[in-house]
Amino acid sequence: MQQQKIPSLLSLILKTLRRILTVSWLFLIPAFLLLIIFVLYPVGDTIYQSFLAKGNFVGLQNFNYVLFEKAFPLINIPNIQLGAFPMGALIDNLLWIVIHLPLTVFFGLAFAVLLRDVKGGTIIKSIVFLGVVIPMVVGGLLFRFVYDPDAGVVNALLRLIGLGNYARDFTFYPQTALISIILGSVWIWTGFAMIVYSAGLQGIPVELYEAAEIDGASRWKTFWRITVPMLRSTTLVIITLTVLWELKVFDIVYVATLGGPGGASSVMAYDMYLEAFYSNNLGSASAIAVLLTVLTFGFAAYMVNRMSKM
Amino acid sequence: MSTRSTMFDWLLAILLIIVIIMSGVTIYLLNGVYQATIVTPTATRPSITVYALWSGQEEANFKQALGNFTQETGIDVSYYGYTTQDLLISVPLQLKAPPYPVDVVIAPWPYWILQLSPYLESVNDVINASKFPSSFVNPVKDSSGSIWAAPFKLSGKPGFWYRKSFFTSHGLTVPTTYQQFTNTLLPAIKAIPGIEAAIASGDTVGWPLSDTTEGFLMGLGGYQLQLDLETGPSVRNWTDTEVRDPMSSLTSLLTSGYFSTPADWQSQITKLWNGQYGIYWQGSFMTAQPQIQNVSDIDFFGFPGTDGVSGSIDYAVIPKYAPHLTEAKQLVQYLSGADAQTIMVKQGGFLGTNIDVSVTAYKPIDKEVVDFMGKSGMHVVPDLDDTIGGAWQTTFWTELKLLWTSPNQLNQVLNTLETAAIDQQGT
Repeated sequence: MQQQKIPSLLSLILKTLRRILTVSWLFLIPAFLLLIIFVLYPVGDTIYQSFLAKGNFVGLQNFNYVLFEKAFPLINIPNIQLGAFPMGALIDNLLWIVIHLPLTVFFGLAFAVLLRDVKGGTIIKSIVFLGVVIPMVVGGLLFRFVYDPDAGVVNALLRLIGLGNYARDFTFYPQTALISIILGSVWIWTGFAMIVYSAGLQGIPVELYEAAEIDGASRWKTFWRITVPMLRSTTLVIITLTVLWELKVFDIVYVATLGGPGGASSVMAYDMYLEAFYSNNLGSASAIAVLLTVLTFGFAAYMVNRMSKM
Repeated sequence: MSTRSTMFDWLLAILLIIVIIMSGVTIYLLNGVYQATIVTPTATRPSITVYALWSGQEEANFKQALGNFTQETGIDVSYYGYTTQDLLISVPLQLKAPPYPVDVVIAPWPYWILQLSPYLESVNDVINASKFPSSFVNPVKDSSGSIWAAPFKLSGKPGFWYRKSFFTSHGLTVPTTYQQFTNTLLPAIKAIPGIEAAIASGDTVGWPLSDTTEGFLMGLGGYQLQLDLETGPSVRNWTDTEVRDPMSSLTSLLTSGYFSTPADWQSQITKLWNGQYGIYWQGSFMTAQPQIQNVSDIDFFGFPGTDGVSGSIDYAVIPKYAPHLTEAKQLVQYLSGADAQTIMVKQGGFLGTNIDVSVTAYKPIDKEVVDFMGKSGMHVVPDLDDTIGGAWQTTFWTELKLLWTSPNQLNQVLNTLETAAIDQQGT
């Protein structure tokens, strides 16, 4: 009986597998395995860890701790009410989006449009694009030089225009640290927006511009009525990728300010790093990771949905 | 069953076996089972690897001691200089995931070492604990009596350093009371034409500011205050009046503009030497810095009236799975001994931890530091942030940066430090 059961069980498993699997699926299995081991399992484990403290289930306690209770909470309600820094890493990430996003989109579009038909425009575009090519860590180091009180270009400019009294290392002051690195990183990301917009501009039919010219439309009107609407899907792509970059920004903050002074320029990814590797608190680090994932995933899903409807 | 479906069944069966084997191997690797099977590589002439924080002149000095070790034992030593952040973060990750290339790590954080102790080799049989002055040099020991680190170097933070010629040319005198310091010396330095600030403020990840703060805490609150803060909120809170008072004195000087804006700690030494600052709170390693072109022109004075001085110790630790465990133990034994430390002491900017290091080996200025630390009534206290360590240490560093530029936020700083201390040390 036993001998008969084993082959029949094996053939049943094989039959079922045959039914659900085709050869094409077979070839996908190694990739799926890697995905499970290196992506799905860590994601699942991170979510699981976010509900644990020292191995015990603690419900949402880690989330409450990182959002409101720790020394540098993600949302610092008293400081937000006072308009003082640090307001919390989550708020800082949102400030990144509010300030950095419009500036990079604006400058990216401006460079792409203005340099489209200019002789030597490609060279200038290449220079602007250098910001994207250099490693973010180098970008962060550059900020430290840019804002250096003695050798920095920003303070040299201030002295040049007679505002030497205001010359200082802006990354050292809680009121200016965050804005300093945000403004500095506009240069880093503008190249990306410019290149994508340049590609988008290539896709706009020339006939539209010719027709507008025949109709006597001004360049300004042509820009607003043809260029901007035709670049809508490009803009959505840029916004999506830029916001995702702003949500997960880490290296620039790490190198330029270490999230300081007093946590004034911290961001969620940096807070997660501190919780994991300085506090050895995997539960709260996982809670920040989950929050970050929810934010990025939610935003990405919304934007992809919008794009698919266009 | 057709031949084709039989082949397909076989293919599926083979694939299942591969999946099972791959899963097994993955689980085996993820669980770190292979740690137990690490084979120590053998070489005809052993070569070991050391990680530490030193660069520049301090690295060159250390390499002299290592060179002597190689001569004596025939063991080559490769040195890798790490930044504070890299050593704090990446070394624990390496030690938790062997194999790794490092045999000896030198670090100044007792808390960090104790946290890493499951991944370290005990040095009980490597060092002679009786050779270290027990009053201020404690090997990192756990409750079971295991010693996890060998004290190698002592860095005293004796006080404010200054150029003798600068003081002489401007008619400045060393203060003996805090009133003289705040009412006479600082205003006098500030009034000198071309001076940027009376006191230089050094920056790295934060530690030079922490040393200055410790100077104020002990100078105005006593050495016991620092010891209590190291014990944690169960004994002393950061929001207590005993802490707030000395911190208020510090912020009062910050508000008066006596301190410079923090900048790279080494470039600040250059500025001190060039007469852009009058005084600079630094450790005894100051004299080994290349910016000090003439060591006989540099001197220091302790915080007026203080009864405590911070002492930071650099410890040598051996990772449990060091590729050359025997040779690593030899090196640590050598570094904790008098021979290596005498070589280091003779080069300057280094205070030995071993009692057999002769006082005659010290340069005059280093001997002055040793005498200051050993004088009657003075207590050498472990460095505050190195002792507490962990997330509190980074919080302390970043909060002090905030305090230096926004001294009016003292309350917020103390509250944050208290919250971080409770998080880490409990109540």
